[in-house]
Amino acid sequence: MKLYEFEAGNFFRQEGIPVPDFVIADSPQATREAAEKIGAPVVIKAQVLTGGRGLAGGVQAADSPEQAEEIARQILKSSIRGFPVKRVMVVNKAEVAREFYLGVTIDGLAGCPVVILSTAGGVSIEETAKNHPEMVFSRQVSISAGLSLSDAEEITQQAGLTGEESTRIAGIFHSLYQVFRKYDAPIAEINPLVRTAKGEYLALDAKMEIDDSSLFRHSDLQIPSEDRIATPLEKKGRQIGVTYVELDGEVGIVSSGAGLGMAIMDIIGRRYRPANFLETGGGISEELLYQVMELVLQKKGLKAVFLNLLAGINPIHEGAKGIVRFLQEHPTDVPIVARVRGNRQEEIWQMLREAGVEAFTDAATEESVERLFRILERTK
Amino acid sequence: MSILLNRETKVLVQGITGRVGRAQAKWMLEYGTNIVCGVTPGKKGEEVEGVPVYDTVAQAVAECGAEASVFFVPPAAVKDAARETIDAGVSLIVVVTEHVPVHDAMEIKDYARGRTVRLLGPTSPGIITPGQAKMGIMPGNMFHPGRIGVISRSGTLAYEVCSDLAAVGLGQSTAVGMGADPVPFTSLSELLALFDADPGTDLVIIVGEVGGTQEEHAADFIASQMTKPVVAYIAGHSVPEGKRMGHAGAIVQGDMGTTKSKISALQKAGVVVADYPLDVVQLVKDRLG
Repeated sequence: MKLYEFEAGNFFRQEGIPVPDFVIADSPQATREAAEKIGAPVVIKAQVLTGGRGLAGGVQAADSPEQAEEIARQILKSSIRGFPVKRVMVVNKAEVAREFYLGVTIDGLAGCPVVILSTAGGVSIEETAKNHPEMVFSRQVSISAGLSLSDAEEITQQAGLTGEESTRIAGIFHSLYQVFRKYDAPIAEINPLVRTAKGEYLALDAKMEIDDSSLFRHSDLQIPSEDRIATPLEKKGRQIGVTYVELDGEVGIVSSGAGLGMAIMDIIGRRYRPANFLETGGGISEELLYQVMELVLQKKGLKAVFLNLLAGINPIHEGAKGIVRFLQEHPTDVPIVARVRGNRQEEIWQMLREAGVEAFTDAATEESVERLFRILERTK
Repeated sequence: MSILLNRETKVLVQGITGRVGRAQAKWMLEYGTNIVCGVTPGKKGEEVEGVPVYDTVAQAVAECGAEASVFFVPPAAVKDAARETIDAGVSLIVVVTEHVPVHDAMEIKDYARGRTVRLLGPTSPGIITPGQAKMGIMPGNMFHPGRIGVISRSGTLAYEVCSDLAAVGLGQSTAVGMGADPVPFTSLSELLALFDADPGTDLVIIVGEVGGTQEEHAADFIASQMTKPVVAYIAGHSVPEGKRMGHAGAIVQGDMGTTKSKISALQKAGVVVADYPLDVVQLVKDRLG
């Protein structure tokens, strides 16, 4: 689960990372009042769950409360990479003397945390790694040993930092690693961490995610998950317990497995565009597939729905009852095509055909998709 | 021949008294798996499908000589169960459990380092040596004995490819589900090395998907050390950036994790890459001559 900057900032601050005081505003008026309280000049920052805010005009400085109000008016009307801006952060504008990047993430290959320091802050770490690898210092961390203060200071010294700067940044690095561990974060980043003209160190951005699989042990955080799901249909998918990803195309997809679902997207993508990705997971039941049909058919502009169901551990014969019941209660002109293989397949084909579903028995998904293409050509 | 699992392997089922564990134990036994016992804390003395249940893995090892274990335990319990199982000296652990916290996966991997244990998963559909034994949830009837090694991130896609192979009479030496999480316990390269050393395997199929850099890393291994031919299919040509596609590890982040990057790395290493799953069959036939 991605966190908003202000949420991550609060967690960082609790761990002793110097995050500047900020106010969250959801209207131009509130932004103006915040700027008056904090004292201009201020920076107005869109709170959205995506990167690239700066380039999209989502981070702007204001010299007066009036200007802050005007900027907030524009930003709060805008969308950044498809995410509508509902809130802005108002924070005092710091005079920056030097910028750094600090990050902790997971090395999937080594299977351990990796800490990264760059002496080029404010730009994406991927870019720095590509263009100035000599400015990036990283090391793998043993998760059982953790990152000690002296480990952190070894990295800052390796990066050429000395004296108080090295000590202060090593301390912040150490705290960031604690945050990463405490919140089961796949990633925790400060970009930029700055030294101000006055010699203060400040985390001018806070980025963090919490591993969805770990949320059972973070229920105390009370972070609303609803408003971070992109579309209403994706929200509905989450509610019924399936993974639904909304796409731009015209063929709805239902798959009993994630890998197979991606393969169906590839195969359908030869001629048409998928309208969604939907993976049922291993808990197929009559009720679940009833709700799945309801969800998939809500998408506008559908030309067909393709279901690919492999009956292994999943009781597809139960799920098929849900498909049938939904179609009886909500007849549709959209052709429904199903390829079903595995336990009790004959019984399932029969049941689906009686409900008007084109049930295919092909050994390979490609063969069924070819039949789907022919149906789509006919209905053109 | 096979890798990691055969009909002799003495298998323990952890979480055997749960709904899924019970049902899967039955399927595994019917397939011929040598299940010697089960473990569920507090259930010692019970039997599931005629299999004795113990409280601890240490008991299971002492009483029944269990040497491999398959996990149907809840995600929050996987870390402790893995440590207990490693401590008891079990040499193969298959974690079928989905939604294991990634920090727990890192801790388990760290704990296993330097010990003689092989772990698969998390989110592994299991491992099957067709005609002999299976640990996990793969439907047995989609696999057939043969001389092709299969390594898959996804369960359903492995079933698909293996049933396509069956249609032309090709089977598997062993099919391994490495799991679809961001931190797999055993890497793709390690599994390739096992198949490369197995005299019963002539060719290896990689069934990959978007996310992470396992395939890119494996390409280095293939180019430098692998002696057997490798055929691959990587699913997810057009998945949108930043969206998790059902598996915790199946996500494209910026340029990282795209099928384009994986396919080009594998092709440079001499791997033939299929555009679609069914194409794998023809490519395999071509390579085997």
